[in-house]
Amino acid sequence: MKQCFYELRQPRTAALLRLIFAAAILLAIMIAGMACREQALATDFTRKNLAPCAEYLFGTDWMGRDMLTRTLSGLSLSIRIGVVTAAVSAVVALAAGVSAALLGRWADSALTWLIDLFMGIPHILLLVLISCACGRGFWGVTIGIVATHWMSLARLIRGEVMQLRQSGYVQVARKLGASPAAIAARHILPGVLPQFFTGLVLLFPHAILHEASVTFLGFGLTSEQPAVGVILSESMQYLATGRWWLALLPGLCLVAVVLLFELAGKSLAALWSVNAEQEAA
Amino acid sequence: MKKTKILAAVMALCLAIGAAGCSQTASQSTAAASTASQQQTDTVVVAMNVESEPASGFDPAYGWGAGEHVHEPLIQSTLVVTNADMSIGYDLATDMQVSEDGLTWTVTIRDDVKFTDGEPLTASDVAFTYNTVKAESTVNDFTMLDSAEAVDDTTVVFHMNRPYSTWPYSMAVVGIVPEHAYGPDYGQNPIGSGRYILKQWDKGQQVILEANPDYYGEEVKMKKVVILFMSEDAAFAAAKAGQVDVAYTAASYTDQTIDGFELMAVKTVDNRGINLPAVEEENSIGNDFTADVRVRQAINIGFDRQEMIDNVLNGYGTPAYSVCDGMPWYSEADEVTYDPQKAAALLEEAGWTLNSDGVREKDGRTASLNLLYPMGDSTRQALAADMANQLAELGIQTSTEGVGWDTAYDRAQNTPLVWGWGTHSPMEMYNIYHTVGDLARYSPYANARVDELMDQALACSDLEESYALWQQAQSEEIVNDVPWVWMVNVDHLYWVNQNLEVAQQKLHPHGHGWSLVNNVDQWTWNQA
Repeated sequence: MKQCFYELRQPRTAALLRLIFAAAILLAIMIAGMACREQALATDFTRKNLAPCAEYLFGTDWMGRDMLTRTLSGLSLSIRIGVVTAAVSAVVALAAGVSAALLGRWADSALTWLIDLFMGIPHILLLVLISCACGRGFWGVTIGIVATHWMSLARLIRGEVMQLRQSGYVQVARKLGASPAAIAARHILPGVLPQFFTGLVLLFPHAILHEASVTFLGFGLTSEQPAVGVILSESMQYLATGRWWLALLPGLCLVAVVLLFELAGKSLAALWSVNAEQEAA
Repeated sequence: MKKTKILAAVMALCLAIGAAGCSQTASQSTAAASTASQQQTDTVVVAMNVESEPASGFDPAYGWGAGEHVHEPLIQSTLVVTNADMSIGYDLATDMQVSEDGLTWTVTIRDDVKFTDGEPLTASDVAFTYNTVKAESTVNDFTMLDSAEAVDDTTVVFHMNRPYSTWPYSMAVVGIVPEHAYGPDYGQNPIGSGRYILKQWDKGQQVILEANPDYYGEEVKMKKVVILFMSEDAAFAAAKAGQVDVAYTAASYTDQTIDGFELMAVKTVDNRGINLPAVEEENSIGNDFTADVRVRQAINIGFDRQEMIDNVLNGYGTPAYSVCDGMPWYSEADEVTYDPQKAAALLEEAGWTLNSDGVREKDGRTASLNLLYPMGDSTRQALAADMANQLAELGIQTSTEGVGWDTAYDRAQNTPLVWGWGTHSPMEMYNIYHTVGDLARYSPYANARVDELMDQALACSDLEESYALWQQAQSEEIVNDVPWVWMVNVDHLYWVNQNLEVAQQKLHPHGHGWSLVNNVDQWTWNQA
């Protein structure tokens, strides 16, 4: 199957199709999840602990909540947190990367030091710490993820900018007397945009998995929320009594969403690189 | 490169899930190592929850027996004990007198008791113990005690700061420690005069108790008691594997069966209830909706406790009407019947009328309530959810929210929280309903008559008389004010080997732990 895609005569079209496919499903999950939030929160003790059946495809939990709407709603929440956090941390990364490369040696070493510092602390630990300090909940998790996910992209962009700075057209622009701001905006930013967008999309799966982990560990979203981390940690209590569906189906859905983002990111990267080739030619 | 990173993230998640599983495997292997007790007739292995392991050891000054969850200290003797009907009986004490003003308690003790190191237990050990817990205890309130004094070898006098009629209930949980062998590490190496000797304590795993051969009281029938600390699912698995004889469990496991085991449900005063702030909101204290007494009364009669028990506890519980159901100081006047019509009428009377969506409104505001529950407590979460469903039928829009204990106490000042209480002393009622400054401590409420009656109860020199006053405070005032709505008493559930005879249990207090083994010395094995 994969082979077919690669052998398509127009790889650009194939990549675009894959991108649209992934984006459409993710968007559909996000909207569906928002639409069924009410049902996801509803408890009904007359239908508790049901195994997956025609009426409840994902079964129900100990309070009679429908696990399908709960999973959808949880994934939707994860995707939305992912959107916010990935966007914000990508912008932070872009600003940090560009200024590191353009503001001279002193700013560069300061920012590189900061990146190293943040990268030196175990991710999840820092995330738990920040989330707790910000009072947990939606904002705690969001701020925590933003603060812990910008470094690797920032480093990548910094390297890219460094390289671009040495390129001929930037040298010429500088000789012609263009201001650093103008060089950054007109000559360097367009050059790093492909890396930026690809990096942004590839931040999503990280953000989503970390949101789920930190919530699973009890330091993230509160337990009445339909979040994937909450669903997974609750299901742990019931595995011993054989309620496999509580963990398995939502867990698989989480993995599927992560893979979809991965697919979207890769397709996007492919699209950009083809573009670049054409421009070069 | 990117693929490996994603992979790493997925694996990190798996690792987190795996780590939670690890603790169980660890405790299971201990169980395997230390049991197979069915063959022996005088050993019992009990799986208890992980929180039951005493963090500061077996020292009464740091919560052993006398902490948040009261129980008999087993290793130490107490002056008095609580009987099955919660009246007071004697352990070390032979007589107990209180002065007319309630400020002096005189207790005489037995002269034939020895600590397990051979030293005799005298009144000076008793005085030392009480002066120590007064100075050291961070978990219990001993501010009513001024000092304890040994008059002679068998007489100890307690000088009180204020009259305190419930003093015998405090004496029932304070284990007597030896003055000559007490130090900072006493909690790790406790010496007492009780039914059992601490033989071994593997932290995080197990406690092994062995019968005290020189015990002065009734013969200890169960010679060896092994307590394993396990999570709920590990305890279930251990019972299934036959590695334990008794395993605590929860309502969510009651649809399971284990060969050779029976499910034992112990009645409790371990209640769950919500506080309803009884004053209007000001500076984040109080709640405008529940400040109206008619709203509180409507909630109290407007939900079906039995339905809640069936839904959430699978039937394993009893309706709760007070913080002290079944105790001698409980007033039956607290009992209410479920009456949704009357509840609706009360809400109408308070001005909350139904709109077309079935939600009540008053002056453009909707009747809404947010119920808090401690995060991670699935029973309380389900109770909150069931309560929310039932209140919605009354036309009160109700949501639920999980909170951590770091913020729960503050938030309960203006929002109802699902609490768990229930202990073997009327002091809990005092702590919940009596004002500290202007308002009661855990939920804003103030009633001068309640304060007065409870103060009178404490000032009584006779325990029986004081019961009547505690009851009067409930039947005349609290039942009408409804500053707290009590929902259910949660049965404590255990898987018990069917050949084991567990001696009759008193109503368990809050805390699903050591209370079970209060009388483990009288448990026996049936010859199979």
